[in-house]
Amino acid sequence: MSGARVAAAIALRDLKGVAKARSQLYSSVLTPLLFLVFLGNGVSHGLEPAALPAGNFTAYLVAGTVVMTSVFSSTFSSASYYRDRDTGFLRLLLSSPHSPRTVMLGKSLAAMIIGALQAAVVLGVAAPFVDFGWQYGVGGGIGLALLTVVLLNLMLTGLAQALATRVQSMQGFHLVMNLALFPLLFFSGAFFPVEGLPAWMKVLAYVNPLTYAVDGLQLATYATGSGGFIGYSVDFAVLGVLGAAVYALGLSRVPKLTYSGE
Amino acid sequence: MSSAIEARDVRRSYGERAALDGFTLDVPTGSVFGVLGPNGSGKSTFVALVAGAERPPGGRLTILGEVPHPRLRARVGTVFQENASDPLMSPREYLLFAATLFGMGGAATRRRAEELLERFGLASRAKDPISTLSGGMRRRLEAARALLHRPELLLLDEPTTGVDPEERRLLWETVRAERGGATVLLATNDLHEADEVCDLVAFVEAGRVVASGAPAELKRDLRRQTVRVELTEADPGIVERIAAEAGPGRVTALDGELVVMTDDAAALVPRLFAAAGPAIRGLRIEDASLEDAYFQYIQRRAEAVR
Repeated sequence: MSGARVAAAIALRDLKGVAKARSQLYSSVLTPLLFLVFLGNGVSHGLEPAALPAGNFTAYLVAGTVVMTSVFSSTFSSASYYRDRDTGFLRLLLSSPHSPRTVMLGKSLAAMIIGALQAAVVLGVAAPFVDFGWQYGVGGGIGLALLTVVLLNLMLTGLAQALATRVQSMQGFHLVMNLALFPLLFFSGAFFPVEGLPAWMKVLAYVNPLTYAVDGLQLATYATGSGGFIGYSVDFAVLGVLGAAVYALGLSRVPKLTYSGE
Repeated sequence: MSSAIEARDVRRSYGERAALDGFTLDVPTGSVFGVLGPNGSGKSTFVALVAGAERPPGGRLTILGEVPHPRLRARVGTVFQENASDPLMSPREYLLFAATLFGMGGAATRRRAEELLERFGLASRAKDPISTLSGGMRRRLEAARALLHRPELLLLDEPTTGVDPEERRLLWETVRAERGGATVLLATNDLHEADEVCDLVAFVEAGRVVASGAPAELKRDLRRQTVRVELTEADPGIVERIAAEAGPGRVTALDGELVVMTDDAAALVPRLFAAAGPAIRGLRIEDASLEDAYFQYIQRRAEAVR
């Protein structure tokens, strides 16, 4: 039995677990959509979005909402590590003849797929109702958006995994993830353009990896040109390098087969 | 006879605390071997070491004739002290998932899973979520999962904790029938269970094996028997005469009879009859239990340490 097949089996089992937890599935898709509808429409009609590169705040907000969905979804999916540890299932995985890295690879693969699928659902549901530029065409735009989402999820899953194997409690894990990721979301261009920000906030935005994911998604869907955006060469370079590095960090520490009370 | 597990002076610590401190043990191939000890004695640490096929930080360990390495885990089945199942899965899904982990698949594996569900009395609940099964059913499922890949070594860490006597009987009957020639290492603090099912046992205390052998040998080595004497009348003079024959501190009056502890009942009984014959209505000799042996050895060890 190859490690890849076992990793795929573990990923499939995690995916089935999410499909069975219907409330988590629905809320993780519905929350960002409601966010998009209420905040997007509210701001679009209540304010004059002159600062937006291509007008229409709802369309602008889609990229940020997709990134937000990925952030929450990969966080929740990675929390399955804690569930498996607490139910004892992790012991079964670790007593199998496969390396703990194969086990963690399977679990992170599931988290990445779930994050990417949920982001794709948000994008797919929003697309017919908002005014996207699709400057690379619909097919090209969707392809670039998905690539951006996959790279983003690689990084987020790696981060979640690195934390999960180091932070003892699930509450602590969520606290650290929220503390790290919420501010990053605000300074990423997810809810307002980075261009109009004061200089110190712009600096924070440019050292923020989520900024490059939002930029990639804006370019793929919303933008009608490249003016005012960072550009794909930088976006993919940052997300690719960081994604690989953080994912490697996530796999650098693996759990061991231990017993409670010993 | 070859050894399925050979441990020599194995050491393992958690921080400052030594969980295994010179643990030495031979588990003969094909035997049912019990590792008995109080909580925290190191027996579960030893099971975890073997289940994980890990090299110990100190000492030497061989499992199924090999130095520990991860692939050896394919030849070992483990029932952990706590359940290792996903409560959202069904028993059938759980077994088939475990089969994938252990390199099995296809129609033969599905048949094997169905066969084990049937044997362990879980066939009627095969599709239900594991969260809805009773505690005993979950332990049976764990045993079925551990036997699924036909391991050569079966590790059972307190497999019947919290299980009622009927469930316990069913579980052991099925494990015995299904294990084939596999060696069984049972870690438990249930001495009656160990006495009933084990060919050999080892008493573990503070990370070391303090005694090992067949339960009968360990009990025989104690030379301890209990003689229960029923008297025709409660005459203090007779009790004194019996106490004088048995030796100081060996006679207890309990539930209308005298309980006499002795190392040699065969020699004591004629002397009791000579001293108080007419007053003795009945007499019963009981052999020492594994529990007596356990406490004797653990106490000896505690005294030696002091």
